[in-house]
Amino acid sequence: MEINLYLSITPEALIASMLSPVEFGRYFAVGTKKRTRGQAMFFKLKRKFHSDYLKLDDINERCVPNEDGSPKRSKYIAIYRVLEHVPMEAIENLYIVTDDGRVLELQKEEYVDTENDALHLYQQLGPVKPLVASSLNPTDFCKYLTDTTKPVSVPKLAFVELILNGLANDPENATLDNIPYQNIDHMRGCLINLQKKPSKPNKTVVRSTQKDILYRTCKNGFFIGDNETMYYYPMPSKDKLEGEYYAWWKSALTQGFNY
Amino acid sequence: MIENIFWTVPVASIIALAFAGFFFKQMMKNSEGTDRMITIAEHVRKGAMAYLKQQYKVVGVFFAIMTVLFSVMAYGFNLQNPWVPFAFLTGGFFSGLAGFFGMKTATYASARTANAARESLNGALKIAFRSGAVMGLVVVGLGLLDISIWFVALNYFYPIGIDDGHNLVIITTTMLTFGMGASAQALFARVGGGIFTKAADVGGDLVGKVEAGIPEDDPRNPATIADNVGDNVGDVAGMGADLYESYCGSILATSALGAAAYIGQTEMQLKAVIAPMLIAAVGIILSILGIYLVKTKEGATQKDLLESLGRGINISSILVIIFSLGILYIVGIDNMFGIWGAIIVGLVTGTVIGKATEYYTSATYRPTQMIAKSTEFGSATVIISGLGTGMISTTIPVLAVVFGIVLSFLFASGFDFTNMGLGLYGVGIAAVGMLSTLGITLATDAYGPIADNAGGNAEMSGLGEEVRKRTDALDSLGNTTAATGKGFAIGSAALTALALLASYIEELKIGLLRIGENVLEFSNGTTVDTATATLADFMNYYQVNLMNPKVLVGMLVGSMMSFLFCGLTMNAVGRAASKMVEEVRRQFREIPGIMESKAEPDYARCVEISTKGAQMEMLLPASLAILVPIIVGLVMGVPAVIGLMVGALVAGFVLAVFMANSGGAWDNAKKYIEEGNLGGKGSSAHRAAIIGDTVGDPFKDTSGPSLNILIKLMSMVAIVMSGLTVAFSLF
Repeated sequence: MEINLYLSITPEALIASMLSPVEFGRYFAVGTKKRTRGQAMFFKLKRKFHSDYLKLDDINERCVPNEDGSPKRSKYIAIYRVLEHVPMEAIENLYIVTDDGRVLELQKEEYVDTENDALHLYQQLGPVKPLVASSLNPTDFCKYLTDTTKPVSVPKLAFVELILNGLANDPENATLDNIPYQNIDHMRGCLINLQKKPSKPNKTVVRSTQKDILYRTCKNGFFIGDNETMYYYPMPSKDKLEGEYYAWWKSALTQGFNY
Repeated sequence: MIENIFWTVPVASIIALAFAGFFFKQMMKNSEGTDRMITIAEHVRKGAMAYLKQQYKVVGVFFAIMTVLFSVMAYGFNLQNPWVPFAFLTGGFFSGLAGFFGMKTATYASARTANAARESLNGALKIAFRSGAVMGLVVVGLGLLDISIWFVALNYFYPIGIDDGHNLVIITTTMLTFGMGASAQALFARVGGGIFTKAADVGGDLVGKVEAGIPEDDPRNPATIADNVGDNVGDVAGMGADLYESYCGSILATSALGAAAYIGQTEMQLKAVIAPMLIAAVGIILSILGIYLVKTKEGATQKDLLESLGRGINISSILVIIFSLGILYIVGIDNMFGIWGAIIVGLVTGTVIGKATEYYTSATYRPTQMIAKSTEFGSATVIISGLGTGMISTTIPVLAVVFGIVLSFLFASGFDFTNMGLGLYGVGIAAVGMLSTLGITLATDAYGPIADNAGGNAEMSGLGEEVRKRTDALDSLGNTTAATGKGFAIGSAALTALALLASYIEELKIGLLRIGENVLEFSNGTTVDTATATLADFMNYYQVNLMNPKVLVGMLVGSMMSFLFCGLTMNAVGRAASKMVEEVRRQFREIPGIMESKAEPDYARCVEISTKGAQMEMLLPASLAILVPIIVGLVMGVPAVIGLMVGALVAGFVLAVFMANSGGAWDNAKKYIEEGNLGGKGSSAHRAAIIGDTVGDPFKDTSGPSLNILIKLMSMVAIVMSGLTVAFSLF
């Protein structure tokens, strides 16, 4: 049975599995019996890549079929500082999973910034998880935070840009409409602050987000990058989600009390 | 000539049943779609039939006991008309039959509607609406058929035209007793169905949506089929039995009042008795015409769909107004224009209540938007604002009924408040006018669950986006019409109950004569013949005034009954839902692979749990509704019974409007947020709105609608037991 490697973002971990990405995603979210549930996001990795930090040479010995012959569903290879030690070239497709186990595969594309929005909202997914208001576009935001010459930086960053609607250009007066974030007044304050002080590019809205993200609030797609390379995984359009990926989209829209 | 015109009534009932059969056959000719769609529809059908079978078993035992009791009262102690046991049985039988046919049609129609939605919106609307029309036409058809059969049969034993018109009073008051059978059946159907549907809905949602994160109508949720079954047993069978009772009750009570008002004038008396039946008959024909007017174009908006349904109802109503004048002219009834005015008042009152309901429950208007706005401050504020709005929303319907009563009374009595007999006849005629287009208005009600189930079937069968959009449009329209329909049902129940209150006095008269009290002797020594005593004489004789503590006691007990009944049914939903929660959790725990869609849940077990829960839980509230009027009558006598009926009517009507509108407004406030307002899905506002909606579920679908029947059933029990009350009351 083929062994796949997955880089989980929530929580950060490197996992070997004999399941395909869709099967793994479903298993990862809901298990084999209905005991727990939880949103999941993970990248499929190339089977072979080099890392001095991660112990990859004995995966075949560690990830073996179960005694009854069924495939090994998951074998944790590493759970600490994984993201920074996986080379960008090893990262393939992204899989985003709803908390009841529906899996959506996203393929990477080159990011072209065509937005004119003055302000942005980024949910960092790993290695740290603050919610950040920013005047930088995704490319610049990624470069800014992965610039290791700066005291506050990370070697690699996974993040998603969230919708701001009218707040992106008029944080003081725009209506909220379908923006669901908590402590919205504080967020408005952060955005206004950024608008008034162009010298300051980022402002932390939430120090560390504990809850699942609402997929419907994803503005354009997911990003992962270091200071040199950034991959972009665009979300399908709403029409496509309602048509081709309806089961996933409906599940993504379902309100659970863990939000 | 008037005897010949009467035959229009059975003919209209046969036409209604023939068209119901025709629409049913037309619907059955359509395909149910793919194998998956057929399987899902079969699950729902089997579950619904299993529920009805179980319910009829329980109700059958109840009817057997009551029939024996009535027989003993009638044949053993001469306390009742000997026809009562049979009338009671036929009322229950026809009411149950109406619910059965309606539900059978609905369960066959949903997959066919979903399948038709794969082709066009209009095709799906036609199937769903005409299947709903089967329910509407079966209710009015069976109602008028039952009335016709009894009228003809009793006419044979108590020939009209002799005995100075007293035979017609006996005929109409005897017929009125079949209303108790219909009411009892309706109460079981409404309460049982209401508990079933909300137990499945709330229980399924709590584990499915909230715990497992599974969307609605997802085949992985074990309670999904039970939820769909619940839509049928609660909203179709329950609503059908409820309105069957209102329809027959309003016609029979009005006929009884007509017979009493014109006693001594045999020809005019017969005209007054037959007039409400004829108006109902004309209403049937015009409803069928209206049903044919309901169609839409492809890509229709929500507004187009609403207009399409509105067109059918409005044209039917306008034609009823025109044709009823013709009927009254042909019949040659006294004060023709006054009676006609009362009919118009009834139709207008129904429309006003419907519009008020829409205003207070639709997210298009401010009240529901304000409830949605309150979600920003948490679940407590959404509960407070929902309760507040529900309470405020009682104003227009209550005032509409107030104006309806006053105007119909004045029109029919020739603007003479002292002419009680004719004035109350006018109130009854107003109720008949309101329900005359029931064939089509009930079609819009029954259409709702069919469209809802069609959406569920499309969802579970994984039909395409276009199909789902079409079924969603139909479903959303169904939600609006259901809210309006509930308002209509409540309004008609209030007017019918008032007519029943007046009819109770007529039953007392018969009861007194049966036990040999031929003279009413007043405290000042004067006497009046029981047979010719007026309503006012009876009020004086029994001292029915507000200074009599018995009346006040009765009123208090009647008001309390409305609240007690609501409390019991709401708690019943909570208990039945908790059993469903346990079962859904158990299945997730013990059946591996449900979440991965590798194993199918045990849908039938959830249906069984909801069925058992509903049957067990409905017994106490239903028994109380029947026992309390009997006990109050036996202990405190006639004044307390009248007080009880008044208290139940006044508190129950207002409470029913409040509960139905609060629940509807909470539901639509949640939908308003889900459309992308105030943070949309997943926001804290949404979470608060979900709590409001969950609280509102038993409000609008269990307790609120059941109150309509409580009001009428308590009146019916009082009427049927009047012989017992006058013979054996302690005080």
